[in-house]
Amino acid sequence: MILTQNLTKRYGKTLAVNNLNLNVDRGVIFGLVGENGAGKTTALSMLATLTLPSSGRAYVCGHEVTREPQAVRRAIGYMPDSFGVYDDLTVMEYLRFFAQCYGVDRRTISRRAEELLERVRLADKRDVYVNHLSRGMQQRLEVARCLMHDPDVLILDEPSSGLDPKSRLEMRSVLAGLRELGKTVIISTHILNELAEVADEVGILLRGELVAVAAVQVMVQHSSAYRTIVIDGRDLGDDFVKALFADPHVAEVRPLTPGWEVLYAGTLAQQAELLSRLVSEGYSITQFREQPTDIEQLFLRLAAIQEGTIS
Amino acid sequence: MKWHLNPLLLKEFRQRMRTIRAPLVITAYLFAMSALTVFLLYENVQGQLYLVQPTKSQQVFALVSLLQMVVVAFLAPAFASGSVSGERERKTLAVLLTTPVGPFGILFGKVVSSSALLVLLVVLTLPVYSLVFLYGGAVPAQVASVLGFQLVTIVVISAVCVLFSTIALRSTWSTVFAYGSVGLMTVIFGALGYGLKSLYEQNPIDYSALVWSHFFYALDPLYVEAAFLGVVSAAPHVWVPFVEFYAVVIAILLVPSLWRLRPQWFSWLPFVSGTEKQYQ
Repeated sequence: MILTQNLTKRYGKTLAVNNLNLNVDRGVIFGLVGENGAGKTTALSMLATLTLPSSGRAYVCGHEVTREPQAVRRAIGYMPDSFGVYDDLTVMEYLRFFAQCYGVDRRTISRRAEELLERVRLADKRDVYVNHLSRGMQQRLEVARCLMHDPDVLILDEPSSGLDPKSRLEMRSVLAGLRELGKTVIISTHILNELAEVADEVGILLRGELVAVAAVQVMVQHSSAYRTIVIDGRDLGDDFVKALFADPHVAEVRPLTPGWEVLYAGTLAQQAELLSRLVSEGYSITQFREQPTDIEQLFLRLAAIQEGTIS
Repeated sequence: MKWHLNPLLLKEFRQRMRTIRAPLVITAYLFAMSALTVFLLYENVQGQLYLVQPTKSQQVFALVSLLQMVVVAFLAPAFASGSVSGERERKTLAVLLTTPVGPFGILFGKVVSSSALLVLLVVLTLPVYSLVFLYGGAVPAQVASVLGFQLVTIVVISAVCVLFSTIALRSTWSTVFAYGSVGLMTVIFGALGYGLKSLYEQNPIDYSALVWSHFFYALDPLYVEAAFLGVVSAAPHVWVPFVEFYAVVIAILLVPSLWRLRPQWFSWLPFVSGTEKQYQ
């Protein structure tokens, strides 16, 4: 369904993507993991026909992205890593606009929009202006927007970036629901754990090169059991640390300037609960974010396992 | 094949006409134009309405038409100059470019939607012109040609502004280019035409000065409008070089605009290596 052969992109002297070879089968949810600047966005934007490859080939549903871009555009739903929304359009009008861009007929538009809003849990927001939605809701709406013309392939670039744990949880369940639709999905992220319940396969992109591809469970198993959470806010002193340790999943708390770094062994849902509890206890929290998995360490670990130097 | 209205056009109409700004602009403009026309007609006859003569009514018609041309010329960039750069800044352009609408559809939708409110303004002033008809002085054919040329000018300025908005990456710069273009069209070209004509009058042997003077005058929408109104004497089809020149300008500006939107279309060129920066 998605095939790339030595796909390469240079920006001047910078090599953004280097000989990327991917093969994603129909119905597979493929995660592309890499740190910021690893080339994920460039790779996905080449698949989305936005960026011209410097060399190599890419095929989506059998259509070559540079020779048959229009066919590729009809076959994909693309969600960029940072996107904006149109002011003064309601959720329904927003979906209708993009469906009209694809020539979807009027009756299908209304029916599909209702179904998708139900799927992304925005059915009660259909008449709300898009710019009045929270960031998390806007990102779920983007997923619905990608599905409006019923494409075979979804290309989602960091769909959960910038979301709080609760919104990430909601997004994750929306993404997991894509499996029922039988779509082929490629999702990029810099947080490996996010893909645990969503993806089938994961590829690691390191400085523009795809260095490993494995089943998601293998990847997650070999990444750290702990998540690192960075928390910052006003007047978070010793009592705050005590409040943190009240959660049995908190393994370690280290001071940062400013804020605290928390080693956390719980799930994303438990993380969301921790944040809710801290806020309800009156702590003024301005930042609560998960540090990305150290992809390089994970890759070295996988390589060492393959070479047999560690088990 | 089923015909579809450009979806961008529908969206832009909805967005532009939904806010209070559009009816406010229209109401304020119509009120100002009506008040001005009544004042000019009244002032011409010092309150003695039986003194109204077709020639005076013609002067009012000319003055109001030229004023309207100035207003629409300087309002057009306000609606068009941020159209594509705004999409880029709001980060909505990339998604739009992955739809089948395509660069031509985007540019067409932006030009038509940017022109629409001004076209509406011009059409809505028709009843104001009826005040002038009341006392004679302007025939319907002349009014139609004057308004028609105003509509052409609106579309030309909007197109130039939308294209600059595509070429310039930021709205600040596209606004500078847009107002610079309008200044060039309405002030600089007129001044050049006037200067060259004066040169010719001082030195009648220099015929090329007269030719260039006519050329620059023909590029100034105010001068062409004045020719339609009979305020200045000009060649019979002075609007033809105007349309031709700006068609060429638009065609030239279209090339870098398309490069900004879809660099892939230029991949056949020998100097395009696929290592260029992306601008979506």
